[in-house]
Amino acid sequence: MHDREEPGKFSAGVLAVIVHVLFFGLLIFGVNWHTKQPEAVEAELWSSLPPVPKPRAVAPQPKRVKQEPKPKPEPEPKQEPVKPKPVKQEPKPEPKPKVAKADIELKQKEQKRREEEKRKEEERKKEQTLKRKQQADALKQLLQQQQTMEAELLRQQQLALQQQLQAQQSAAQARTVSDYKSRIRAKIKRYVILPPDIQGNPQAEFDVTLLPGGDVLDVKLTRSSGNAAYDEAVKRAIYKAVPLPLPPGGELFSAFRELHLQFRPKDDN
Amino acid sequence: MGVSQNLSFISLVANASVVVQLVLLLLLASSFVSWWYIFLKLFSLKQAVRQSDGFERDFWGGADLNTLYQHASSGRHSTGGMERIFEAGFREFLKLKRQPGMDISAVMEGTRRAMRATYHREMDRLEAHLSFLATVGSVSPYVGLFGTVWGIMNAFRGLSNVVQATLAHVAPGIAEALVATAMGLFAAIPAVVAYNRYTHDVDRIAIRFESFMEECSNILQRQAGS
Repeated sequence: MHDREEPGKFSAGVLAVIVHVLFFGLLIFGVNWHTKQPEAVEAELWSSLPPVPKPRAVAPQPKRVKQEPKPKPEPEPKQEPVKPKPVKQEPKPEPKPKVAKADIELKQKEQKRREEEKRKEEERKKEQTLKRKQQADALKQLLQQQQTMEAELLRQQQLALQQQLQAQQSAAQARTVSDYKSRIRAKIKRYVILPPDIQGNPQAEFDVTLLPGGDVLDVKLTRSSGNAAYDEAVKRAIYKAVPLPLPPGGELFSAFRELHLQFRPKDDN
Repeated sequence: MGVSQNLSFISLVANASVVVQLVLLLLLASSFVSWWYIFLKLFSLKQAVRQSDGFERDFWGGADLNTLYQHASSGRHSTGGMERIFEAGFREFLKLKRQPGMDISAVMEGTRRAMRATYHREMDRLEAHLSFLATVGSVSPYVGLFGTVWGIMNAFRGLSNVVQATLAHVAPGIAEALVATAMGLFAAIPAVVAYNRYTHDVDRIAIRFESFMEECSNILQRQAGS
């Protein structure tokens, strides 16, 4: 009597299979499992941002300068060929009166004509050679101008590069200097024992003379905070913080020989 | 481990260590069985409620108890739990009533015992497999966690051989390990929800059965007295 089977065994199994197929379909197709690697590479490139502006800053300069020489050579050849034209006109009026006078002696005329022809030919040759020379000179001048322009361009580019490099170096130096200054201040701050009765947030300024090893040679209070106890505490802290952190190598030490440091009891730096 | 990782789900599972794969397989099997039971219980509880509703309508609709008993014992249709309780009680009632020299209280006592026995059998049937759902719900997160811990252990052990340790070296291992936790949770959450829901449903059906038993014994006592 009680050996009834529970209802829907088969349909329950089918439904369970459907649920799992749905779940795995969601896992495989619904979730984007592929990590995008290129984005990570981009992020790494951003860390080296400072050198990127180099090409941007240099690239527009040659373009501007290149545009300038193009209009210049065009007017020059036009002006130069104008000059030889008056030279052609001058010799022509001279032979005409000579021809009118020669009536008696034909030979002389012939000779004269020949001589004149020779002269004309010579003059023509001279003119031609002159023209050629002038054209060659003009070409040479153009070439020279172009060469000088290119050289100037190169120089300008090199100068710009050098300036940028110098600017970067100086910027890096300034960064390390400010970085180490803040480190020095932080180290000193660690040793400051604040006196309990400070009112407000007064600023004490010190001139600290350093030795290359980071030792403190001299500490001068240039501007008191108004609280002598705080001034003394900072002064003691400066001596306690020896050796102060300095950039390695000692090349930048000149920036640290005379330090002007400012301290406030309540700033978080 | 190359730089470009294909972290697709299939490759993650395929590249996982054997222990993690076994854990995933176990979790998949338990999840499948638990879902199977979830649907099975859903159908059977729905059916039990429907049959109880139908029988109560017949019972309180003024039908004769003898015809109801014949209808229940004929076995022509699938009988519900409540109908079987009534059938067992009425059969015992008739048997005891036929015997001479039986006190009415003794007859009612026997009838009540017969109904209670059937009631327990029915409750056992309704509660079957619920313990499995409870087990899956409570254990499979730990099994998944075990797979995860094992996978992460392997990932970090592989990391110790690398000079420059980056996240990219650990990420695939951890991802494949976390698949085990996801699988465990996937198996556990529906099982827990279904367990809570079905125990509540079974409790409600049990209360209905018990109240029906009390009412039915009252009616039988009245019939015996008359």
